[in-house]
Amino acid sequence: MIEFRNVNKTYSTGTEAVHNANFKIEKGEFAFLVGSSGSGKSTLIKMILKEEDPTSGNIIINGKDTTFIKSRRIPYLRRSMGVVFQDFRLLPDKTVYENVAFAMYIVRATPKHIRRQVPMVLSLVGLSGKAKMYPNELSGGEQQRVALARALVNNPSMLIADEPTGNLDPDTAWEIMNLLNSINLRGTTVVVATHAKDIVDKMKKRVIQIDKGIIVRDDKKGGYDSEL
Amino acid sequence: MNYNILSYLIGEGFKNVFRNKKSTFAALIIMFATMITVGIGLAGARNVTSMVKQLEEEVPVTVYINDGLSTSEQQEVEDYIKSIESVNKVEYTSKAEALKEAKEKLAENAELLSQYSENNHPFPASYTITLTDINKSQDVVNAINSVEDIKEKIKEIKTPDTVISGLNRIDRGIKFLFFGIGALLIVVSIVIIGNTIKLAVHARRREISIMKYVGATNNFIRAPFIVEGVVIGVLATAISILLLGVLYHLAYNKFNGMLITNIGFGMLQFGDIFQITMLVYIVLGVGIGVLGSVFSMKKYLKV
Ligand SMILES: Nc1ncnc2c1ncn2[C@@H]1O[C@H](COP(=O)(O)OP(=O)(O)O)[C@@H](O)[C@H]1O
Ligand SMILES: [Mg+2]
Repeated sequence: MIEFRNVNKTYSTGTEAVHNANFKIEKGEFAFLVGSSGSGKSTLIKMILKEEDPTSGNIIINGKDTTFIKSRRIPYLRRSMGVVFQDFRLLPDKTVYENVAFAMYIVRATPKHIRRQVPMVLSLVGLSGKAKMYPNELSGGEQQRVALARALVNNPSMLIADEPTGNLDPDTAWEIMNLLNSINLRGTTVVVATHAKDIVDKMKKRVIQIDKGIIVRDDKKGGYDSEL
Repeated sequence: MNYNILSYLIGEGFKNVFRNKKSTFAALIIMFATMITVGIGLAGARNVTSMVKQLEEEVPVTVYINDGLSTSEQQEVEDYIKSIESVNKVEYTSKAEALKEAKEKLAENAELLSQYSENNHPFPASYTITLTDINKSQDVVNAINSVEDIKEKIKEIKTPDTVISGLNRIDRGIKFLFFGIGALLIVVSIVIIGNTIKLAVHARRREISIMKYVGATNNFIRAPFIVEGVVIGVLATAISILLLGVLYHLAYNKFNGMLITNIGFGMLQFGDIFQITMLVYIVLGVGIGVLGSVFSMKKYLKV
């Protein structure tokens, strides 16, 4: 589903953010990307999203090498993945419903399909009662749920989350992680970059650890830092 | 593309136009200035071209004689002209007829000449000469000027060459001046409208980056901003064509009579140049709008 082959990334500033990364995340898997700040987690995610290109190496998504994909095709690649970020990235002047529907509008879904799909995904993330509210009327956890609903509404085959709990208190972080887990159990591949050590430890999922751009550990049912 | 998407794109475009009133206004002003400049150049050039064409169809040489010549003196001139090689036909227009003709040409503006009487007016009697060969007009002029006795009875000789080359020079001058300034203003317009769109894009960069993550195509993201540019262009077109019409009528009222008296041809009606001007304006308005928005969006479409 997501495969990195000898991937290197050096930014134009000269920073080598990723050095010879090799890993493969299978369909339906749940994987954590862990590592301290500046270790290269976001860079890995940006390369999956095709927001950054690797300096060398190949990235294979859903069986297709995206290294030389035409820029015209990138939007269609992105439609196969949902993304959430630490800062939620909601549109403040749109309601919860509109924020989610927006993602469907953009991929030209029919109004009928939108009317059916949005309430369904809002109920999946537990926000059925808040469809008409605006982001600033919601808690951080609820805002991240809206972002999750938006990421999932077009039924992507994978969900990519870059520090989704970074702005949340521990209890709320747990709620979001459990939600990610249940999304994974419905068949969506989930990749989560995170700092949240205790959560990673307790969830016993696959852990890919990166340190200064180098993948130092890839543990099938690991904790955050178990062997180092 | 289904109807809902189309109405979404156009709706967003219009919203942008009114969201950024100040910069929209600036873009409108500069496009308006561009269009008026190009419009004046176009109207001027069209008029000169039409005059040249009319002149070319006219009889080649007109010899205006001095006032107060005796009948025998006139006969002398006429006989001499008839004797010149390559002169085909000579037609006399008396001073009285000259005034009548001038009034006819002015038509509804004839009252401009009401101060003149049949014997006291600036239009001289003349001989209108048709040539056997249209290219020999300069020979005829030389022949007349070579005989001192005839030359002193002549007030002025008009050949189409002198008038046409003069008009052609004016034509080139107008084109050079107005289209030169116009081209400069077009560039400035593209930059300023680009800036307007850039502000609109900047205000919505969050939305755009979300659109990109969700998989919106560049064309989908660009479309509302192109609509915004085009809407500004079309607004500028509408204002400009109205004002140009008003300016043209003012100029027509002021100069048409004068031109007819002096060179015998009047200005075109605004209706005659409306179509071409409208066409140029729409191309300019839409073109500047589209170019400005496409250039200014490049940066934001990366990611
Ligand atoms: N756009 C960029 N240009 C230059 N250097 C960058 C850029 N993005 C990240 N970096 C650098 O690459 C390294 C890895 O950053 P990042 O992938 O954001 O780490 P993490 O997400 O693990 O905190 C850091 O040293 C960071 O400063
Ligand atoms: Mg990061």
